[in-house]
Amino acid sequence: MAPKVKKQKEIVKDERLQAIVLTDSFETRFMPLTSVKPRCLLPLANVPLIEYTLEFLAKAGVDEVYLMCCSHADQISEYIENSKWNKPWSPFKIQTIMTLESRSVGDAMRDLDNRGLITGDFLLVSGDVVTNIQFDKVLEQHKLLKSQDRDHIATMVLTKASALHRTRSHSEPATFILDSKTNKCLYYQDIPPVNGKKSSISIDPEFLENVDEFIVRNDLIDCHVDICSPHVPAIFQENFDYQYLRRDFVKGILSSDILKKSIYAYITDEYYAARVESWQTYDAISQDILARWCYPIVPDSNFLENHTYSYENEHIYKEDNVVLAQSCKIGSCVAIGSNTSIGDGTIIENSVIGRNCKIGKNIYIKNSYIWENSTIEDSCNIEYSIIASNSNIGENSKLNKGSVIGFNVKIDHDQKIDENIRISSSKVQNLDKSFITSEDEEEVDDDDDDDEDENSFDYEIVGENGTGYIYESEDSDYDDDASTKPVNSLMYQMFELTLSDDSIVSQSQIKHKKKRSYSTTSIATDYGEENFEKEALETLARALENNHDLDTALLELNTLRMSMNVTYHEVRYATSTALLTRVKEFIGTDTLNNKEAVEKIFRQWGSLFKRQIFDEEDQIDLLQTLNQVINDLGLEKQTLLYILTILYDVETLEEELILKWWKDNEIDNEYVAKFIEWLEEAEEDDSDDE
Amino acid sequence: MSSSQTKDINFQIDSFVEKLKRRQINGSYHVALETCQLLMKVVSVAKWNHIDQLIQHIRQLGLRLEKAQPREFSCGNVIRRVLAIIRDEAFENEGNNNELNAPMISSMFSLLSTNDKKSNIQPLINSNTKSNKYHDLKSIIIQSIRDLIDEISSIDEGIEGMSADLIHDNEILLTPTPDSQTVLKFLLKARQKRKFTVLVTENYPNGVEKAHEFIKELSKAKIDTVLIPDSHVFAVMSRVGKVIVGARSVFANGGTVSTAGVASVCECAKEYKTPVFSVAGLYKLSPTYPFDIENLVEIGNSGKVIKFSESQLVHNTGLTNPLFDYISPENIDIYITNIGGFAPSFIYRIVLDNYKTEDVDLS
Repeated sequence: MAPKVKKQKEIVKDERLQAIVLTDSFETRFMPLTSVKPRCLLPLANVPLIEYTLEFLAKAGVDEVYLMCCSHADQISEYIENSKWNKPWSPFKIQTIMTLESRSVGDAMRDLDNRGLITGDFLLVSGDVVTNIQFDKVLEQHKLLKSQDRDHIATMVLTKASALHRTRSHSEPATFILDSKTNKCLYYQDIPPVNGKKSSISIDPEFLENVDEFIVRNDLIDCHVDICSPHVPAIFQENFDYQYLRRDFVKGILSSDILKKSIYAYITDEYYAARVESWQTYDAISQDILARWCYPIVPDSNFLENHTYSYENEHIYKEDNVVLAQSCKIGSCVAIGSNTSIGDGTIIENSVIGRNCKIGKNIYIKNSYIWENSTIEDSCNIEYSIIASNSNIGENSKLNKGSVIGFNVKIDHDQKIDENIRISSSKVQNLDKSFITSEDEEEVDDDDDDDEDENSFDYEIVGENGTGYIYESEDSDYDDDASTKPVNSLMYQMFELTLSDDSIVSQSQIKHKKKRSYSTTSIATDYGEENFEKEALETLARALENNHDLDTALLELNTLRMSMNVTYHEVRYATSTALLTRVKEFIGTDTLNNKEAVEKIFRQWGSLFKRQIFDEEDQIDLLQTLNQVINDLGLEKQTLLYILTILYDVETLEEELILKWWKDNEIDNEYVAKFIEWLEEAEEDDSDDE
Repeated sequence: MSSSQTKDINFQIDSFVEKLKRRQINGSYHVALETCQLLMKVVSVAKWNHIDQLIQHIRQLGLRLEKAQPREFSCGNVIRRVLAIIRDEAFENEGNNNELNAPMISSMFSLLSTNDKKSNIQPLINSNTKSNKYHDLKSIIIQSIRDLIDEISSIDEGIEGMSADLIHDNEILLTPTPDSQTVLKFLLKARQKRKFTVLVTENYPNGVEKAHEFIKELSKAKIDTVLIPDSHVFAVMSRVGKVIVGARSVFANGGTVSTAGVASVCECAKEYKTPVFSVAGLYKLSPTYPFDIENLVEIGNSGKVIKFSESQLVHNTGLTNPLFDYISPENIDIYITNIGGFAPSFIYRIVLDNYKTEDVDLS
């Protein structure tokens, strides 16, 4: 029998299908829980999230799976090692890849490219996908399209839903503009969270050239299942400022004139596909699984070896050895793990309860997710909440909508937890934890412990005998508004979302604050600007010293600017400082005199400013900045004159604006005054000639 | 019997279980065949000193397979058939060789006293004939499983043979199970000798596509075919001569599990005293009793009933989409199997012929 199997494998190998699973989301939406466990190991309907993705891959007939692990990589690889996927009869070969230094999807893709693992078209999924899609159909279409359109590099799988569908991401909704005939994606625009302020999207008419008919769709669930050609990681490599798969990559590809690549969408209506990317979708997808929308991915399929779920009417799933008191009421859509006991008079609706939980008497649990080994004492009231493993909720407590109780937290009796409060057992700093490798985290934790000797638990929340800290959500930093909070919380608050067409927010507000993820130090400071200045100066100094290409230096600067989200003023300031420091160095070492030094540096590098100024105000600001920097560095006054002549020469600065600046700001500089005089004369001559 | 062989078989068992769980093997026919093939491999690799070890081994395997897809009964049925085969063969073998012991056991006295004697005698016999006997038995069992595979794969022929006798010219038939291949072949065979009309129910929401395929096949064979909505069954029942139903599983009490919607069709038929024929291969006969009817019914994809994109409905309605129906024995008039037609009340007898009572409960 053995040789036969081998032969088959050899045949398969020629066209093996590879899958890349991004286990890290590079987001902080599931904080504080993700500070302890990676997102893909959080249980959804009592099964770790990654299992759903791997089940999908197994059914899709994938031959090789690579898990890109970043934060908590050790936990993930340990889990995989002990799982059925690592057994010899696993339907595919699985391998974990540690990319501890990755800070975004872009980084992971670049790392992937460096490793050269990709041999052909591959499947790119994130580690939190739940789907029952029939993949061979997608692959077929991908191949068909590829034979028709040689520039086709990726197919995105999208599910039809509706704009405010509960399973659709409300924190990251996106609009796709597609060619209505071929489903070719023409444009992609992410829109800010649906929080009552609906914004507009603007499309460059250029994109719609040569298109007969297009549709704008804001009703699709983007589950991040893509079939990509091997070019995709390479494109990430070339464009090292790409961070996000959709926001940067898809948009970048579509709006690039040089690449001329196309991306298609595969829209399915009959299958289920969604992604657990926020608490809101966690809730929705749990309910969908329980209500069998994702059949055959249902709890009673018992994908995990030791699970023993069986189905009962009204979507109730029970494992073996569940102890239910006679007078408790289990409503529809409930799953209960083994060895859990539920006391008298308790009512449970639309919830998932893990293994070994002790649920007391007269408790009301609605739309909540209680993970394993937790204890809930009598007469509690829990709605729309998550209670992580090994927690303890005291008698008579009330958890209001959207509360998240972290691992090992203990809440005292008679406590009332307000809406959207998140509690964790160890203090999680308001840092980008998911961007920091586990080692760093330990360090941070250690630091915390030292502080904590004095700092005690947040007793006003957890009660006198409780343990736990409040986690301050970082969402406000992340998504522009603090109003993201309700969207990202567990509650499904359709009624709060008022969509009025009148409130069209100006374009500027749509701008995404990109994360400061490029900082080289592991502990990010709170002052992005200072950090930027330092970084930018270093970058430019390097460029000047090694005589880099102007474009390269510009690109690096731009990347820095975007990643740290600073204005062009800062960029100009940094550039001026860097150039003038260099000038000063030359003068200081007596290699060149003032004029020559300025001439040398600004002739070559002055054009940097060209790409940093866009309107009149910018020019005036630049002049002001230059003047200031010269004063700060203590350079001679004529330096400004030399710079002005050069910049005027290379047409970075316009005559009128120099004059305007001179008039508006009374500057004490006799050299420049002469230059101005000359300018004015020249202008007069010009007008005379006319 | 190297370790690589046992490794290989474990590999196959586990990947089979995974495939069952993932529903990559679907339909009772395929499951039955693949289970048979797997059992054949297991037996050919297995080592045993006493036949009970093999039986125990297969029982445990059966339990795992049943749990992998608890509502695919044909898997369990095939395992029980194989167990019955093994027990029969073993009994025959022992019957021949242990004639020496037989008189001793038959007396009350020997039952109490000959335990030690017996153990003395047995090794003697075993050492002489063991290896021979062992290989004989093994090849006999494998041959029997092969026969079973042949039986299953040719099961439709046996059923088809009776079709001309059961269907008259110009009769109107109704079938609510367009997903059954057996029903399709039954009708196609009958068409060779008879001319008749078939009404096919639409089977919304799970079987619409299959119903369309089904009527395409029938009309290709020049059978008058009418597709009717499920709600129309009662209205047309007065004109229907016979109802032909496919089965997923037939239980020892004569009840059957079939596609959702069949139960109501059978009720209608009863109201009009229309005979209901259930066509089922022998491998669909199960020795178990349907005690917990609710548990026999698989609940399918809710998305088939309502589109998932209907956000309001998805959020606000509770819905279930049962895939199967249980039909009680009173509502079925005759079972047509590959070994003949039987009344539901007689099914228990056939079950006894083919299965051993000790294997009904595998755990």
